[in-house]
Amino acid sequence: MRRRAIIARLAPYLALVPVLLFLAVFLYIPVVLDFAYSAHAWNSLSPTWRFVGFGNFRELLHDPLFWQSLRGNVLYAVVSLIVQVALALVLAAVLESGVVGIRLSAFFRVSYFIPSIMPITVIGLLWQILYQPDVGLIDQALHAVGLAALAHAWLGEEATALPAIVAVSQWQWFGYITVLFIVAIRAIPRELYEAAAIDGARAWRSFWHVTVPGVTETTVLMALITIFGAVKVFDIVWVMTGGGPNNASQVLGSYMYRSAFRDDRVGYAAAIAVVMFMICSVVGAAQLYWSRRRAP
Amino acid sequence: MKRRDFNRAAVAAGTAIAAGGWQPGRAAAAEPVTLSFLHKWPEPNNIRFFREAVDAFQKAHPGVTINMEAVADNPYKAKIRVIMASGQIPDIYFTWVGEYTRQFIRAGRVLDITHYMAAPEWQGRFLPATLDAYKTDGKIYGVPVEVDAKFMVYNKKLFAKVGATEPPKDWPAFTALLDKLKGAGVVPIAYGSQLAWATVHYIGDLIAKLVPPETRVADYTLKTPANKLFTDPGYVDALGHYQAFLTHGWFNASPNALTHAAARASFYAGREAMMYQELVEFGGVPGTKLGADGWGFFPMPAIPHGRGRQDLLTGAPDGFVVAPTCKHPDVAMAFLNFLTSQPQGALFTTDTGRPSATIGAVTSANASAATLRGIEDIKHAKGMVLWLDTDVESRVASAFLAGGQALMGTGGTPAGVMAKVRAAALQVQKEQG
Amino acid sequence: MMRRRSRLALRLAPAKLGALTILTILAVVTIYPLAWLLLNSLKSSDALFERSWALPTTWLWHNYPEAWRYGLGRFMANSVLITGVSVVAIVLLGALAAFVLVTRRFRGRGLVTAIVLGGLIVPPEVSLFPLFKIMVLLGIYNTYLAMIAPDIAYGLPFTVLLLRAYMTQIPPEMAEAATMDGAGLLRCFWHVYLPLARPALAAAAMVQAMRVWNEFVFALTFVSNDALHPLTVGLTTFGDSLNTNWPVLLAGLVISIVPILVVFLLMQRQFMRGLTAGALK
Repeated sequence: MRRRAIIARLAPYLALVPVLLFLAVFLYIPVVLDFAYSAHAWNSLSPTWRFVGFGNFRELLHDPLFWQSLRGNVLYAVVSLIVQVALALVLAAVLESGVVGIRLSAFFRVSYFIPSIMPITVIGLLWQILYQPDVGLIDQALHAVGLAALAHAWLGEEATALPAIVAVSQWQWFGYITVLFIVAIRAIPRELYEAAAIDGARAWRSFWHVTVPGVTETTVLMALITIFGAVKVFDIVWVMTGGGPNNASQVLGSYMYRSAFRDDRVGYAAAIAVVMFMICSVVGAAQLYWSRRRAP
Repeated sequence: MKRRDFNRAAVAAGTAIAAGGWQPGRAAAAEPVTLSFLHKWPEPNNIRFFREAVDAFQKAHPGVTINMEAVADNPYKAKIRVIMASGQIPDIYFTWVGEYTRQFIRAGRVLDITHYMAAPEWQGRFLPATLDAYKTDGKIYGVPVEVDAKFMVYNKKLFAKVGATEPPKDWPAFTALLDKLKGAGVVPIAYGSQLAWATVHYIGDLIAKLVPPETRVADYTLKTPANKLFTDPGYVDALGHYQAFLTHGWFNASPNALTHAAARASFYAGREAMMYQELVEFGGVPGTKLGADGWGFFPMPAIPHGRGRQDLLTGAPDGFVVAPTCKHPDVAMAFLNFLTSQPQGALFTTDTGRPSATIGAVTSANASAATLRGIEDIKHAKGMVLWLDTDVESRVASAFLAGGQALMGTGGTPAGVMAKVRAAALQVQKEQG
Repeated sequence: MMRRRSRLALRLAPAKLGALTILTILAVVTIYPLAWLLLNSLKSSDALFERSWALPTTWLWHNYPEAWRYGLGRFMANSVLITGVSVVAIVLLGALAAFVLVTRRFRGRGLVTAIVLGGLIVPPEVSLFPLFKIMVLLGIYNTYLAMIAPDIAYGLPFTVLLLRAYMTQIPPEMAEAATMDGAGLLRCFWHVYLPLARPALAAAAMVQAMRVWNEFVFALTFVSNDALHPLTVGLTTFGDSLNTNWPVLLAGLVISIVPILVVFLLMQRQFMRGLTAGALK
C-alpha cells in the first residue's frame, strides 16, 4: 500500500522527466554554454580558450557588419509585422466575413497556406530562378506589363537583395498566419457580430470593434512569433544569397553562422548568439508582463 | 558504356598489383580495421566512383571497412571546421591545399606521410608540381587525386563572328577582342558571382600577375610587417583590372545575380563568347550547344609590364590527407595508393569527367582532347597560383570574397576593398602575435 | 425598405468586387510560381531560357525519372523517417506532459510550466555550436538521432502549450472517475485523455510535421553524411550538381513538394478543426 502511494506521488514527476530532459539538454544547456563561449576567444583548432571577458561584445559594438546585420533583422521584423500580422488579420476577417462565399473562401485559404508547407530549399531554389534577371518570372512579368524600368537583378544588387528575401518570407508565411487568425475569429461569439449588425455597424466598424478586440491574444502571440522569426532568421538567407552580395543581405543568424563556421571564431559567434537570445528574452518578457497586467 | 565495362575489367585485374605496399595477410588478419573517409564529391557520378573504389578495396582486403561520407564543396568548408572542433577527425579527409591545409598542419591535424611516400610504388606517380602543393617545410602531407586549373573557355562560332580564329596572345589583344565582341552584340564573358568563391578565381590570378611574388607570398602568410601588410599598389591595380570587366561591359549584366552554375548553363547554351572555367568542368561540355559550336581555351593572358608572374596558372590539385589520430595509417596509405593507382585514376576520369592527378591515367580513351591539352598546360606551367580563398587566413578570405562581389555592384572601389582586406589581415596578425 | 436594401446591395457590390479582386490576385501570387515550376519542369533547357512563360511545345516527361535518378528517393525516405519519428515522439511526450500538468497537483508544477513556456523563446539557431558539442559528447553526431533529438526538443514547448490549453477543457471528473476505477496515471492518460484530445493531437502533429519536414539547420550542421540527409539539405547538393539542367532541377523540386502537399490537402480539414478546438485562450 505504501509503495503504491509513493509511486502515485512520484508518477507526475516521472511522466515529466522525458520532456524536461529534452529541454535541458537541447535548449537550456546550449544557451548556458553560449554565454560561456562568448567570454572567450577560441577557434576550432585552438587547444585552449583565452578568456576575454566582454571583449567579444566590445568588438561587436565597433563591428559595422554586426550593425548592418542587425538592421537587416529590424527590416525583416517591421515588414513581417505589417504583412504577416496586420494584413493577415484583415485578410482573415475578409475571408470570414462571408463576402466571397464559403467554398471560395476555403479555396483562397488553402491556396494561401500552401507556400508555408514547402521545404525551405525548394523555396530558395525556386525564387532564385524567379528572381533571375531576364529569364526570371518577376522581370518578365514587369516587361510584359510595361514596367521594364522596374526590373532588377533582385538578388544580385546590394540595394534589393535583402528586400527580395524579405518578400519571399512574406509570400511563404502570410497564409499560415491568416489561417491562425481565422481560427481565432471563429472563436469569437457570433452574438457580438449580430449585435453590431443590429446597431447598423458597417463592415469596417464591426471589424474594428468586434474582431480586433476579439483576437487580441492571438495578435500578440502572432506578433511575438513574427518578431522571434525575424530575430533568428537564417535558412532562407543562407539558401538564397549566403548573406551576399558583399554582405548586403547579412542578418544576425547568417553572420553568426559565418563567424562560427567560416571565419572560425567560435567565441565571437557565441557573442552574436547571446545578443540574439537577449533580444528574444526582452521581447518575450515584455509580452509576459503585458498579458499578466491584462489578466485579472 | 562499353568503355566503362572494359575499364572495370582492367581494374579488377589490376587491383591486386596496385594495392601493393601493405599486405593484408600480414597486418590485418589479426583484427578488423575500420577507417573513416570524408570527401567533397557527393554528386551522383562522382560518388559512384568512390563507392565502387571502396567496395573494390574492401573486397581485396577482407577485414577492412571504410566508412565513407561526402559533403558538397560549399558546405564542406563549414563541416570541416565543425569536425576539427569536435576532435573526431576522419582518418582520411579532403582539404584544400595552401594556407587551408597549413593551418591544419600547424595544429597537428595532418599526418606527415613523407616516409610512406618514399616507397617505390609511389615514385613517378604524380607531377612534381602537383605533389609540391602538398609539401610544407620539405615534408609531404597529402596525396592528390585530381588536378585542376582555370582557363578561359571560348565559343569558336561566336569568335568567328568577329573574325577571331585564335586565342588572344596578351592582355591588350584580349581587351581588344572583348571590345570587338561587345561591338558585335555578343556578350563577351559569362560570369556568375552570386556564390562569392567565383570572384577570387579572377582576383587571385590578377594579383599574381600584378603583385611581386615575394610580396604576395609574404602578405598571404601574414609575414609582412604590419605597416606594409597588403599595401602593394599591385593589389588595387589587380582589383581595378577585375572591375574593368564589369564597367566595360565585358561581363554579362549583374553577375552577382547568377550562380557560377547558372552562368555556365547560359554559356553552354551558346549565349556568351567566353567563360573562366576550371579544367574539371570540361567534362560537361560535350553534348551541349557549346560543344556543337566548337570550343577552345586559353590561360588568362599575360599583362605586359605586370610586376608579378605572368607564367603561372591559377589552380590546385585536390586530394586527401591522413589524420595523425588514425590508428592504421598503413591501411589508410594503402587505400590512397589504390585510389590513385593508374587503373583507378583512369576510372576516376571515366566516371567523373575530371582529370586524375595520376600520370598516365588520363588518356584519349577516357578524356577529351581538350582535357588532355589542359593537363599538358599544367605540366608546362612554371607553377601554380592556389585558390585565393583557401590560400589566405579565413577572415582575410572573407574580406576578399565580399570585396569581389562589391566590385560587381555599384558601391565598391578597389581601394576600399583593399582597406577592408588590410584591416582584417592586421587584426588576424595581431591575434596570432 | 426595398429601396434601402437595393441601395445597400449596390453599395456593397463594389466592395465585394474589390475584395474578390484582391483575394484573387493574392491567390495568383501564391499559386502561379508553383504552376510556373510545374510547367517549366517539363521543358528543355533551351525552351526555358527562350520563353519561360509559354506552355512547353514538347512535354518532356522524362525530366522526372531523370531527376529521381539523382538520389531523391533516398533523401525523401530520410525526410519521412526523421519526420515520422520526431512527430510521434513530440506528440506522445508533449501530450503526457500536458496531461500531468492539467490533471495533477504537485510541488513544482508552476516551475515546470515556466520551464516549458521559456522554451518558446530559445531559437535553435543561436545554439548551433554548443549543440554540436553536445551531439559529439552524446555520440550521436552524424546519425539520424542528431536531427531527431533536437527536432523533438524544439517542438515540445509549443505542443505542450497547445495540448494543455485543449485538455483544460476536458472535464476533470473524467480523470477522477478513471482514478476511482483504480486506473493508474498512464492508463488514465492512454484510455481517457488521449482519445478525447484527438483533434488537438492531429493539429499538433500537423504543425510539427511541417516544421520538421522543412528543418534545415540541424541537418546541415549535425550531419555530414549525405546518405542521411533529408530533402531540405539533399536538394542543395542536388541543385549544385544539376544547375546546368534547370528543367530537371525543377522536376526534382516538384517531386519533393508532392508528398507534403498531398498530406496537407488530405488533412487540412482536421487541421483547422483541431486548431479551432484548441484555440489558445
